[in-house]
Amino acid sequence: MAAFTLWWQMHAWRTPEVLASTRFASPDGGGGLSFSLLLPARHEQAVLDHTIRRLLESSHTDFEIIVIVGHDDPETAEVARSAEARDPRVRVVVDHHERKNKPKAMNTALSHCRGDVVGVFDAEDQVHPELLAHVDQAFRTTGADVVQGGVQLINFHSSWYSLRNCLEYFFWFRSRLHLHAQKGFIPLGGNTVFVRTDVLREAEGWDPACLAEDCDLGVRLSSVGKKVVVAYDSDMVTKEETPGSLMSLLKQRTRWNQGFLQVYRKRDWKQLPTMGQRLLARYTLMTPYLQAVSGVIIPLDVAVALFLDVPVGIAFVTFLPAVTALVTFVFELVGLHDFGKQYGLRVRTVHYLKLVAGGPFYQVLLAGAAVRAVWREQRGHDDWELTSHVGAHLTEATREDVAA
Amino acid sequence: MTSTLPATATSTVPAQRPSAPEGVSAPFTGLRSRGSRADLILCAGLLVAILLVQGWNIAAYPTLSDDEGTYLAQAWAVQQGKGLAHYTYWYDHPPLGWIQIALLTWVPAHLSPSLMTVGPMRSTMLVVSAVSAVLLYVLARRLSLPRWAAGLAMVLFGLSPLSIVLQREIFLDNIAVTWTLLAFCLAASPSRHLWHHFGAGLAAAAAVLTKETMLVVLPALFVTMWRHSHRDTRKFALTGAVTACVLIGTAYPLFALLKGELLPGGGHVSLWEGITYQMSRPGSGFVLERGTGSYGVLHSWLYYDRILPVGGLAGALLLLVTFRWSVTARALAGPALTVAILALVALRPNGYLPAMYVIQALPFLALVLAGGTASVAHAVLRRRRTEQERAYVTRGRRGLAAALVLAAGAYVVPRWYDGDRTAVTADANAPYRAASAWLRTEVEDPEDTRVLVDDALWLDLVHDGYRPGLGAIWFYKADLDPAVTKTMSRGWRDLDYVVASPTVRRDAADLPNVRAAIGHSTPVATFGSGEDRIEIRRIDAGHTTTARSGGSR
Repeated sequence: MAAFTLWWQMHAWRTPEVLASTRFASPDGGGGLSFSLLLPARHEQAVLDHTIRRLLESSHTDFEIIVIVGHDDPETAEVARSAEARDPRVRVVVDHHERKNKPKAMNTALSHCRGDVVGVFDAEDQVHPELLAHVDQAFRTTGADVVQGGVQLINFHSSWYSLRNCLEYFFWFRSRLHLHAQKGFIPLGGNTVFVRTDVLREAEGWDPACLAEDCDLGVRLSSVGKKVVVAYDSDMVTKEETPGSLMSLLKQRTRWNQGFLQVYRKRDWKQLPTMGQRLLARYTLMTPYLQAVSGVIIPLDVAVALFLDVPVGIAFVTFLPAVTALVTFVFELVGLHDFGKQYGLRVRTVHYLKLVAGGPFYQVLLAGAAVRAVWREQRGHDDWELTSHVGAHLTEATREDVAA
Repeated sequence: MTSTLPATATSTVPAQRPSAPEGVSAPFTGLRSRGSRADLILCAGLLVAILLVQGWNIAAYPTLSDDEGTYLAQAWAVQQGKGLAHYTYWYDHPPLGWIQIALLTWVPAHLSPSLMTVGPMRSTMLVVSAVSAVLLYVLARRLSLPRWAAGLAMVLFGLSPLSIVLQREIFLDNIAVTWTLLAFCLAASPSRHLWHHFGAGLAAAAAVLTKETMLVVLPALFVTMWRHSHRDTRKFALTGAVTACVLIGTAYPLFALLKGELLPGGGHVSLWEGITYQMSRPGSGFVLERGTGSYGVLHSWLYYDRILPVGGLAGALLLLVTFRWSVTARALAGPALTVAILALVALRPNGYLPAMYVIQALPFLALVLAGGTASVAHAVLRRRRTEQERAYVTRGRRGLAAALVLAAGAYVVPRWYDGDRTAVTADANAPYRAASAWLRTEVEDPEDTRVLVDDALWLDLVHDGYRPGLGAIWFYKADLDPAVTKTMSRGWRDLDYVVASPTVRRDAADLPNVRAAIGHSTPVATFGSGEDRIEIRRIDAGHTTTARSGGSR
């Protein structure tokens, strides 16, 4: 299982041609599509204005920004309104749902969208001005229904877990998603995702009850054969920051895991045409749990081999998972180096050491989140977790702005 | 855009590429050697010729070597489920080599157990030679040699009398060469696939675990991989390969660790002692100094063939010197470096130089000689050639090329013809077969007879009913293995026969028990004559009866 993950994780670097194909093609200049960019914001008055300004700097000629604010959030609404007054391309939509979450907010805005393509960003995102032009080009040249751009956590130096978190994103968006796109089964990311408006309306928007509405949308669209294209360019990724504390990372991960589990149980993926795709879907959606299990089993295996008196042959077999884990480790180190190079960041020796030393602890965290997610799902705690997550946004809003 | 690749210039984002087969990309398909019919025909034709010459008379020539017996006997022990050796495995070499021999000989040994002796089982080495020859051809093509040069490399590698003699023998080096060639082929993979490079690392580790001397070739493999990887994916490809190699390589010390035999300790063998033994083997002198052991080994190689070793060295030198100007030289940097490293290692002032050392150099010598030839051919036929070149100049070029081909042919063909004719006609092993037959028919109760015998004959005796290990005894174990000496409390008196082959007589100088056994015995049968004779010597009468009671425990 670790071998599979490793294989897929390294997808983009298999050959130089594959690596080249994961990038955006240069735009040919001719614009064609119009964009509606959704920007759900909740208690994010500190960063929202900056994000809108950056979006407005975009080189694309035809787009609108729809900021979605809650009726109970006057501070954020005020920032949004002032932006609306400044620039005609900005519009504000107010979400009146009693219990709020991101999919509900976006569904509210969907009926207001006038563009050919709907794009989603988060309120704290740093978006590259050239991104829209490239996405436009990708839509027109590939005939895609969905384009997923790259998202990258950038503050790897903040803490040991943010280092691993950044690297996870790096491997996921740089490599693994491309494989999913190629195989025709893809859990989409939460932002920098672009969908043709008619396709999105046909799919009736996002699932308001799902904790991982982004993943769910991707699974539903790819299950009915919509074409998804993924492109990654280190210049053009949307930059984000890791959750501010270990606890919020755990909560975020729990939500994702639970969301994956919900998507798994919704069984949309069963419509996938081929056996291989269904297996990939099953495996991908189960990954958090397999991860949790393997995190426990590998150290146990090595301990068994070394300390218990077992035949040499069996001891060798018990070492096999450790071998793949080690290979993964090494590739992560190289990945960190590549990450530093791509983003012009200085990665020091201490970071490599942290990466290695933090590995087991991060496994524990992942395992913890997986167990927590299963427990919540069993107890039917999905509602509670949602409000909890929205609450978590409060803390997110207070953290420092992302350096431009 | 950070892109540096031409592929991005195309106007698509080909994240979905349903039509392209996995791992193969269109621009490079043309470089693949397996796609071409002409390659296939040439390679298959040469392979048949090589297998015919190597296979004909394989059991009878060259003389059975002690080492062949050792490895095959240990392979037999693996097949019989007796562990890694029928005596205590003492980490002399990593065991992967004879585990592979055990696999290779599995089917024939299963069909007819008595086939499991050195002569007949040599035929399984044909499989190894065949795979190596094909891999060499593929490698030559992947290093962008023209078709004829790749074929030339294959011929040089497969038909040199030196190759024929050495590749026929059951040596671990031959198997290690196959793995090394596979590693080079994967390293030079035209699709530059991450997992191909990873596989190259695995194959390299297998080569080293088959024969540890392959370690010295790894830097050249690394260079090849470096040259054939793309800047954007290089760091992943190379780290992947190194990791794979190291991880698999670590399996060996891990194995020792799990058995509790990593470090020396009372009452058991250890990997550490095995390594120190191999490292401290007495040197055989400087290879170019007349009269030393190494000098003798070098001349034993040159006796069989001068063209491949000397020509190959010259080719490597030529390629290394012309590295800056010649495309071929740059393409063949890896193999040329391999030859250079192996030559430098052989030139250590007082290193140990075993006779099979040259085996690991053979494919690379062949490759650089073929590459050097291609380089010369290019210089003669194409260099500074223009569209308007006068007809007489072109004719001159062709004439010169033809003259060179004729000269080379006139030099090589008669010599190789003689060498290869000997290889397919001579019978060097009649004395061994006769000795084996004598021990089968003339000794009354083999089960209770204790014989000191060299490794090459040992399996014959085992099939004839002698007890493996303590009945049929590898002669040097009578002095070196405590598990054997403790059953010989009265020394040579506890033995019945000594089969004094040239190896036994030579090594007896350093083995008191063997020397005493030879000294206290008389020949009852002698096969062959002179230095190469094999004597079956019975331990002097008057002691045998008591010896038998002592020996049967």
